[in-house]
Amino acid sequence: MNLARTRRVNIAGAIITVITVIAAIIWAFPIYWGIVSSFKLEDEVVRPYIELWPEHPTLRHYWFALTQTQIGSWYVNSVATALGVTVLTVSTSLLVGYAISQLRFPGRRVLWWLILASFMVPTQVLIINHFVLIANMGLLNTWAGIILPQLIHPVVIIVYKQFFDQVPKEFREAAVMDNASELRILSKVYIPMNWGVTTALSIVTFIWAWNAFLWPFLAVTRTEMMTITVGITQVSDAFGVYYARQLASAVLAGFPVALAYLLFQRRVTQAITLSAGIKG
Amino acid sequence: MADISLQNVSKSFGAVDVIKDISLEVEQGEFVVFLGPSGSGKSTLLRMIAGLESIDRGKLLIGGKECQDIAPGQRNVAMVFQNYALYPHMTVRDNMAFGLRNIGMKEKDIEARVADAGRILEMDALLDRRPSQLSGGQRQRVAIGRAIVKEPAAFLFDEPLSNLDAALRVRTRVELAQLHQRIAATMIYVTHDQTEAMTLADRIVILNDCRIEQIGTPMEVYTYPASRFVAGFVGSPGMNFLNSDVAVSGKEATATLGDGSRVAMSIDVPEGGTYELGIRPEAVHVVTGEGDTTGEATVVENLGDRTLVYTRLGDGSSVIALDDGRSQVAPGDTVSLRFDTSQLHLFDSSGRAYHAD
Ligand SMILES: Nc1ncnc2c1ncn2[C@@H]1O[C@H](COP(=O)(O)OP(=O)(O)OP(=O)(O)O)[C@@H](O)[C@H]1O
Ligand SMILES: [Mg+2]
Repeated sequence: MNLARTRRVNIAGAIITVITVIAAIIWAFPIYWGIVSSFKLEDEVVRPYIELWPEHPTLRHYWFALTQTQIGSWYVNSVATALGVTVLTVSTSLLVGYAISQLRFPGRRVLWWLILASFMVPTQVLIINHFVLIANMGLLNTWAGIILPQLIHPVVIIVYKQFFDQVPKEFREAAVMDNASELRILSKVYIPMNWGVTTALSIVTFIWAWNAFLWPFLAVTRTEMMTITVGITQVSDAFGVYYARQLASAVLAGFPVALAYLLFQRRVTQAITLSAGIKG
Repeated sequence: MADISLQNVSKSFGAVDVIKDISLEVEQGEFVVFLGPSGSGKSTLLRMIAGLESIDRGKLLIGGKECQDIAPGQRNVAMVFQNYALYPHMTVRDNMAFGLRNIGMKEKDIEARVADAGRILEMDALLDRRPSQLSGGQRQRVAIGRAIVKEPAAFLFDEPLSNLDAALRVRTRVELAQLHQRIAATMIYVTHDQTEAMTLADRIVILNDCRIEQIGTPMEVYTYPASRFVAGFVGSPGMNFLNSDVAVSGKEATATLGDGSRVAMSIDVPEGGTYELGIRPEAVHVVTGEGDTTGEATVVENLGDRTLVYTRLGDGSSVIALDDGRSQVAPGDTVSLRFDTSQLHLFDSSGRAYHAD
C-alpha cells in the first residue's frame, strides 16, 4: 500500500522532471547556440548543418569586439545610465509610494488613479514626444537624455505602495508617539523594514534599464555615446553581417546581467514575482 | 491637581458617534482602568488622549496644558501597544532610544536613561538583542521600557497583556502593579478583562456604548454598581437578575419574585412597580430549613474552597448560589435559598440602580 503510493508519486515526479528538463532545453538551447557560435569561425557558423561544438574554437571575435569597437565606452554608458535610472527611479518611486500609502493629502486618490492609469500606457506610445522633448532640450547624445524618459516605471511605485500598506499601522503610530518626523518615519522605520523590496526592485530596474534598446537607440547617434545594447548593432555595419562577431558582442553585452542574475538569483525571482503579481 | 482631564469630549467616525460627551479627571499617580465590552470605545478614548485620534469636541488637559490640538509626540504621554509595535530591525537599545534621538537628546543622556529602564525592568542582558530574539513576555517589557525612558506625564496601555499566555499574563500583571508603585506614574489602562481591572485599578471607568457608565474604585463598582449594565458586567460568575414586583412603604420595600416568594429589604426607591432584582451569588446562601425561596439544583460546580450551585426556581428563572467547599448538594436536589438582603439591588426599567442597606 505504502510502496504503491510512493511509486505513484515517483512516476508523477519523474514525468514532471522530464517535462521541466525538456522545457529547459528548449529554452536554453538558443542561448547555448549563440554562445557556441561566438567561438566558431565565420564560415563554420553559416554551414547548413548543426554542429554542437566549434571545429576550430577561436577567441578572435571577442578580441575584435574588445579592440576594434568602442565596447569600453558602451559599457561605461550602459553602467552609468542603468545606474542612474535605477537610483532615480527607485528613490522617487519610494517617496511617491510612501506618500500615497501613508500620507493623507487632498488629491491622493486622483494621484493614485493617475499612476495606475499611466501604468496602462506603453512607453513606446510616448516615444516620439520623448524624442522631440529631449531634442528640444538639447539632450540627445547625453546620459541625461538616455536616462530621463526611462524614469517612468509606475510598477515600482505600485509595489512600494503595496508593501508600505502592509506595514501594521502600529509602527507608524509608535513612531508618531516617539516624536518622529515624517522623514524619519520613512528613513528609520519604513525603509529598513522593507529592505528586501528595495533590493529586489533595484535589481529588476537595473536589468530593465540595461536591456533597454528602443529609446537609447533613438536618443543616441554618436557611436561613443551608445549604450551596449545599441552599440552591438554597430558591429555588423561595415562589411555586411558577421554572425559570430555579433554574437560575441552580444555575449559581452549580456554578461553583466547574467552575472547579476546569478549573484542575486533569489532576489530577482522575488522581484519578478512581485511585479508580475501586479501586472497579472 | 488633575494630571489628565477630559472635558465633554466627543468623537465620531463619519456618522457614527463613538465617544459621546465624556468627562473624566485622572489624578497624578493614579492607575485608571477603562473597562468595557468590545466596541464600547475604550481604545478610541485612549487614542484620543494619545493624540492618535482627533477630538471632535471638548477639551483635553494634560498636566494643566490644553492638548487637544497638539501633536501626539508633544503631549508628553507614552503608549504601549497591544502588539508592542517594536521596530524589528532595531536592537532593544535602539528601540528604546529612538524616541529620545528624535527629540535630539544627547547620546550620553540617552544611554543613562536606557540603562535605568533596563535596570527597572530587569532586562539589562537583553539590550543588544533584536525583538525577534525575545519571548513574548520580554517583548512586552521592552515595549514598557520604550515608554519609561521618555519619563512621560502618563502611560497609556491598550490591552498590553492580551497577547500573553494565561500564566505569563498573571505574572506580568503583578509586575505592572509593582512598576506602578515604584515609579508612581499616572497610568491609564484599557482592558476588557475584569480581573485585570479589579486588581490593577485605583479607579475603574466603565464604558458602555460610547458613554461612561460608572467611575469608581474596584470595590465601589463591585458593591454599588450604578446601573444594570455595570452590575451584569462586573463580577464572575455574574450577578443574578430576577424579575420582581416591588411594593414600597417608606424606606422599606417588598419584592415579589416570579415564583411568588417575597423578599423584604430596606431600600430607598421612589415608587413601587416592576423592577429587576439583582443579587450576587455570594449573597445567595444554600440553607437547611426555611429560606427566602426554593429551587432545584441543576449544576453543581465544586471549586474546592467554595461550591457554585446553579438552581432553577419555581417559575423557571435561574439563580446561582454559593455554598461552602464541602457542599452536600447534588444535581436534582431541592434546596432552600436565603438572600442576604443587605446586598440586594433593584434596577428600574431604564437600568438605574438602587441599593439596599
Ligand atoms: N477608524 C475607525 N473608523 C470607523 N469606526 C471605528 C474606527 N475605529 C473604531 N471604530 C468604531 O468605534 C467603536 C469603538 O471602537 P474601539 O476600538 O474604541 O472599541 P474598544 O472598546 O477598544 O473595543 P475592543 O475591546 O474590541 O478593542 C467601534 O464600534 C468601532 O467599530
Ligand atoms: Mg480596543
